[in-house]
Amino acid sequence: MRSRLARSVGALAARSLEALIVLWALASLVFLAMRTLPGDPAALILGDQASRAELDALRAKLLFDRPLHVQYAHFSASLATLDFGESLRRPGVAAAARVTEALGPTAELAALGVGLGALGGIAAAVLASGPWLGRRRVWIGRGLVVVAASPLLAIAPLLTYVLAARWRVVPLPGDPDAGLAGLLFASALLAIPLSAHVGRITSASLASLAGAPFLAVARAKGGTYLRVWAVHALPAVIGPTVMVVATQLGALLGGAVVLERLFERAGLGTLILEAYATRDLPVLESAVIAAGGIFVAAQGLAAAVHALVDPRTRA
Amino acid sequence: MTRRPLVLLAPLASVLAACAIASLAASAPPGRLDPALAWSSPSVSRPFGSGEAGVDLLPLVASAVLRGVALACAVALAGMCIGTPLGAAAALARGRLERAVDRACDLLQAFPTFLLALAVLSAVRAPTRVHLGLVFAITAWTPFARLSLAETRVLRAAAFVDAATALGAGRAAVVLRHVLPNLLGVAAVQLGSTAAATVVSEAALAFVGFGPRDGVSLGNVLDQGVAAMLRAPHVLVAGALAVFVTSASLLIAGAALAAPPRRY
Repeated sequence: MRSRLARSVGALAARSLEALIVLWALASLVFLAMRTLPGDPAALILGDQASRAELDALRAKLLFDRPLHVQYAHFSASLATLDFGESLRRPGVAAAARVTEALGPTAELAALGVGLGALGGIAAAVLASGPWLGRRRVWIGRGLVVVAASPLLAIAPLLTYVLAARWRVVPLPGDPDAGLAGLLFASALLAIPLSAHVGRITSASLASLAGAPFLAVARAKGGTYLRVWAVHALPAVIGPTVMVVATQLGALLGGAVVLERLFERAGLGTLILEAYATRDLPVLESAVIAAGGIFVAAQGLAAAVHALVDPRTRA
Repeated sequence: MTRRPLVLLAPLASVLAACAIASLAASAPPGRLDPALAWSSPSVSRPFGSGEAGVDLLPLVASAVLRGVALACAVALAGMCIGTPLGAAAALARGRLERAVDRACDLLQAFPTFLLALAVLSAVRAPTRVHLGLVFAITAWTPFARLSLAETRVLRAAAFVDAATALGAGRAAVVLRHVLPNLLGVAAVQLGSTAAATVVSEAALAFVGFGPRDGVSLGNVLDQGVAAMLRAPHVLVAGALAVFVTSASLLIAGAALAAPPRRY
């Protein structure tokens, strides 16, 4: 029989291998999309006014004049070393450097969004399951359904208009002077749909626990309601909560791109859009792959946290 | 459980009818400009007001909703036609194929569709609705495959499947005649949510600048609205409400299609 350690190392290795395969597949998709879809990339980059010689020079620089398998070998090499060359639009700056520079603001926004969303969702679920609101707690459940069904794309501009432009209770997050309050507002917007999903799943899990004997024992030993919920019930439902966050990560990343565009905030989404508009292929490739990498890593982290807090998943 | 399909279909039907009437009644094609009226507030002749360079918002929003819903329905139907049989076949085949489909669904379903769309669309100078539809279809089949996989795991143990196999029916015949009809009810609900998600994704892509070439999209309306938030808030409100109403009515219509499962 293998030891538990060997098993978990094996599981970790399998997960990492899978993550690498996903990243490699995404990168290959990007590679193929840039090269096989109709339209000459060099002409797209330089515009209609470019001369023959300029076009040929750029094609040679980007290896577009070589056969596809040679390009792919070169692409795989740059993928392995995470070096996609220089930015076409800012000569002298490595594409990877521009991506790392843009990662910070997006990571801030997304991490704060996940934190606020999880806290808000758990708080709503505890309110909806506890005795404090009486009959009125069904409204929390109904509210969560409505919020989960409302797209961020519709809520975010409306709330921004009402709160930031009309009432001026929060600063516009794109404003350089906005600072922490602006960041908090932007991530609270990002957290709204997430908290609705977390709230629904957590309250469903709490409801399924409601009659569990271990909660009755904790209550019989004289624990207050709050203590029973916080110390005994919540740790048992944290697993599903973490998995909801993991499945919502993709939507969260999309939401972050929309918000960055809405507030004209610097970040990975803004960089991708800018690189798209200016046809800066090295930056575009590395930004998309970096976003995919963060996503895969965050998913792996969620699975690890789930295994850590819930021994049943270790099997 | 009583079924209320007609009541649940009413929101989508009335939204579509209103949009059809509004775009048919418009005298000019959507997007005709009238600079003198730029950013003017709602009035009797222009109930939604005007947007950038004096575009009449009502016909613009109406045709954007119609085109968006058409795209969303096409994507959702394509996803259902690919995903449902695939999931059923994988569950009947068991073993390695079943695990592979399951895992592929896991990965694709959680993967940022938005990122995938950016990656693929970045290769095209100006995407058309066909490009957008293809990109959405890459991920649209996964929830259908996931649902039919789960449902077929229950069905494959059913006596009628054993009976059909014992009578000599091949795997294709079992899937077509005995399993798929039982999956349609579950898949129908997913149709609504896939269509709603597609409407929102299309608008989001157009909002960030990856929209369809003709510029007739709810995302473009929102983009105008954000740019002129202080001068002309009605543009923002019209765009945001249109996104919300369209996606909600598609979700509700999906619930109307849910049929009670048959077992035979």
